[in-house]
Amino acid sequence: MAASHGLLENEPLVNGKLVKQWLFWGILWTMIFPLVGVIVSIKFNYPDWLGRTSWLTWGRIRPMHVNGVIFGAFSTTFFGLVFYMVPKLTGIRMVGEKMGFWCLWLWNIGVVLGSYSLMAGYQKGIEAGDYALWADVPLIIAFIVLTYMVIATIVQRKEKLLYVSLYYTAGAMVWTAINFPIGNILLPYWVPGVNNAALHGLYIHYIVGLWITPAGLALIYFFLPLACKNPLYSHKLSLVGFWSIALFYPFVGIHHYLYSPIPNWTQTIAIVTSMMLIIPVWTVTQNFFGTMMGNWKSLQESFVAKFCIMGSIFYFLGCFQGSTEALRGMQQLTHFTDFVISHSHLTIFGTFVVWTMAGTYYVWPRVTGHALWSKTLATWHFWLIVVSFSTMAGVLTLMGLLQGTMWMDSVEFVDTVVAMKPYWFIRTLSGIGMDIGILLFMINMYMTAVEPSPLPEMEREKGFVPVAAD
Amino acid sequence: MQNKRIDTFIMGMAIVFMGAAVFIMGLLPWLGRAHAMTVVTMDGKVVPAQPYTALEAKGRKVYIREGCWYCHSQYVRPVTGEDRRWGPPSQEGEYAYDVPHMFGTRRIGPDLTREGGRVADDWHFAHHFNPRMVVPDSIMPQFPWLYNGVDANGRPVPTEDAVALVAYIQKLGSNLGPWRKNFLYISGGSAIPVVPAAVQDGVEEGKKVFMRRCVGCHGETGDGKGPVAVFLATKPRIFKDGIFKFRSTPSGSIPTDGDLYRTITMGVRGTAMPNWHELTEEDRWFVIQYIKTFSDRFKEETPGDVIVIPPEAPNTPESVSRGKGLYDQMKCAECHGVDGTGNGPSASTLRDNWGNPVAPRNFTHGGTDMKSGPAPQDMYKAFSTGLDGTPMPSYADFLNPDQRWDLVHYVMSFGPPDTYLILSPQQAGDSYGH
Repeated sequence: MAASHGLLENEPLVNGKLVKQWLFWGILWTMIFPLVGVIVSIKFNYPDWLGRTSWLTWGRIRPMHVNGVIFGAFSTTFFGLVFYMVPKLTGIRMVGEKMGFWCLWLWNIGVVLGSYSLMAGYQKGIEAGDYALWADVPLIIAFIVLTYMVIATIVQRKEKLLYVSLYYTAGAMVWTAINFPIGNILLPYWVPGVNNAALHGLYIHYIVGLWITPAGLALIYFFLPLACKNPLYSHKLSLVGFWSIALFYPFVGIHHYLYSPIPNWTQTIAIVTSMMLIIPVWTVTQNFFGTMMGNWKSLQESFVAKFCIMGSIFYFLGCFQGSTEALRGMQQLTHFTDFVISHSHLTIFGTFVVWTMAGTYYVWPRVTGHALWSKTLATWHFWLIVVSFSTMAGVLTLMGLLQGTMWMDSVEFVDTVVAMKPYWFIRTLSGIGMDIGILLFMINMYMTAVEPSPLPEMEREKGFVPVAAD
Repeated sequence: MQNKRIDTFIMGMAIVFMGAAVFIMGLLPWLGRAHAMTVVTMDGKVVPAQPYTALEAKGRKVYIREGCWYCHSQYVRPVTGEDRRWGPPSQEGEYAYDVPHMFGTRRIGPDLTREGGRVADDWHFAHHFNPRMVVPDSIMPQFPWLYNGVDANGRPVPTEDAVALVAYIQKLGSNLGPWRKNFLYISGGSAIPVVPAAVQDGVEEGKKVFMRRCVGCHGETGDGKGPVAVFLATKPRIFKDGIFKFRSTPSGSIPTDGDLYRTITMGVRGTAMPNWHELTEEDRWFVIQYIKTFSDRFKEETPGDVIVIPPEAPNTPESVSRGKGLYDQMKCAECHGVDGTGNGPSASTLRDNWGNPVAPRNFTHGGTDMKSGPAPQDMYKAFSTGLDGTPMPSYADFLNPDQRWDLVHYVMSFGPPDTYLILSPQQAGDSYGH
């Protein structure tokens, strides 16, 4: 190997090979599963397209898109970044590094088997936990091992400060290690009736609120200060965010089923806690923009900063939207419409997948030891996502308000579907735009890995911890 | 050590918060009281929810497998007029046997909570085979893998899975008992329609409605041979012949516009004809104008005098027993059977005017299954007008009004009492009086 290769393979803390492999698969899944989403969305306008084959029917590949983005695209990339971030923040190598490689294969097998189980018709009927139980087994095993690795590393750390990213990472892992078996083993087989719906409301919101949200926040709290080379605005404020998420998020799940026969008082608690989530959103946003203060010019230089800030803006919009649609009055109008779909895309893709991209732009050159192959491609990637995704989020929000209003006005149901068709077409076009962006991203990362142009020495900082100002 | 203590505290608190939430939000409502297994019907009675049969349970698995639930929610909210669109709001007990639940989160298609009994199985078989055949604007996927070959009539043969799926769909909402009788009344099906003057020249508008809603079964030329027709046991009305079953006019007469309006609004239970109460009133009137262009009868004839439905005579045991005598005397049992199940000696030989086999009504299912409507007045009307085009004659010349009420009461005695829509004299006068 040339000297420029494998920079961090010899680095005292990070196992570059492990990070590289996880990220490789993460990027691949980030390409594939949103693409499945495009196929799903084309079927809105051309329902007979790929429609005569059972395993390509809308109802089977829709969950493949949803679960694939959650467990494939986001989670795989996140773990790759965890293996970079946690050693840096703890000052020690990951505990049980070798298991990390096994976990990668278990995880991939789980995602592939899971997608297969949906297409083959073995799904459980639990949204965001749709994979067949036998496909969940490798995922659950891998997750528990990964949780052990992360927690053991954190507990044995050398750094005195427990940086906020570690709070979030540990929280996400522990919560999900509990939630995953609840949703995949208890829920589909044991709990009957409206209680099944109630617990499922909790489960699905633990996936987004106690897995994706804290995991994504862990990333940006780590990468944003690095990207703009400023210390974190306030560590205390970030902890206010963590504890308010930990306290309020577990309660919000029932807001999926307002006006349903689930006991009304639980619905009310869910609404109140949903509104309280404005606190963590506010602290997080304040912290990000505070950190950027005085160094906004880094937006011009750093793709990491660009993607961090883009994600932060979508985060703020998406979360605000989420809190408001939890209100009874608002939900009368928006529930069951594309407003909800707009919210889930704003948060899962616009925020968290975009943040994993930010992290990848930072870590990938460092673990491959090569400078980013093409800034032009990265710029195209950025703007394609900004323009296409804003269009998608905007058009879905608009559609939700339109169709909701038509329903309230007693318009015949099929007429309301017909009215949505042109907007669905725009949504598909914007999805294609996003996918082209992701394709450019993937090409860029691939070329970065194979093209031997060494990373400049100045960017090879080691053992850097983003120190807080207070 | 210091690290460990802080870390344990943080992890512990994180788990405690989550555990508290799962307990309070997920488990407490469940443990705190008896799990609801009963439903309050529209008549205020408390009845137990019925578990799924083996076939329905299998159909539910198909429903999950094909991802139906990503587009079809299963709970009717008590807001935004959903109860007028689909039926009464959902109750907890209705879900007693649902594992996992199928509430859903997005309505790309309509809610299915109250789908059971809306249309006959045939409609669903055609609709699953190709939704756009039935509803041209639909974006629902087709499910050709739920069919296996075609039978002698060219009808695709549903597989076991398809049969189970339809059985499950027909079960939906039925835990609430015969709610549909009230719903049809509330949704305007029973009101006396008055033809607005503005629609008289709405033929062009009516054609648009027809081509989007009706063409699949009734066919472009009104010959009743749309692509769906091959699936249907009860064949679609052939508009070009101008013969209609459900009228307020004497046997052999063309119907009034109001009669057609009522059929379109309420649908015809037990057949593939849905209730179109969601269409705007204007659209319903327009399409009637268009339907009338298929047959010259509407140009050449005028509807006969509308029959008068007098106030209902008291439904007493004596009236029922007099009705039994008339049932025998009028040879009703010849077709409908002695036990009212529709299996009389000549039942299997019955043909309609176009040579299609017709099944005499099975009275044991009660009012919600009556084609002409769930109220006693609807049965009275059928006796008075006959169902043109079928072997069911008019008894207007044979039975006086009191006798017709006696016969209505006897026929009602075959079915469950709560399936009939009993109107107050005031309501009956509004709906059927003249």
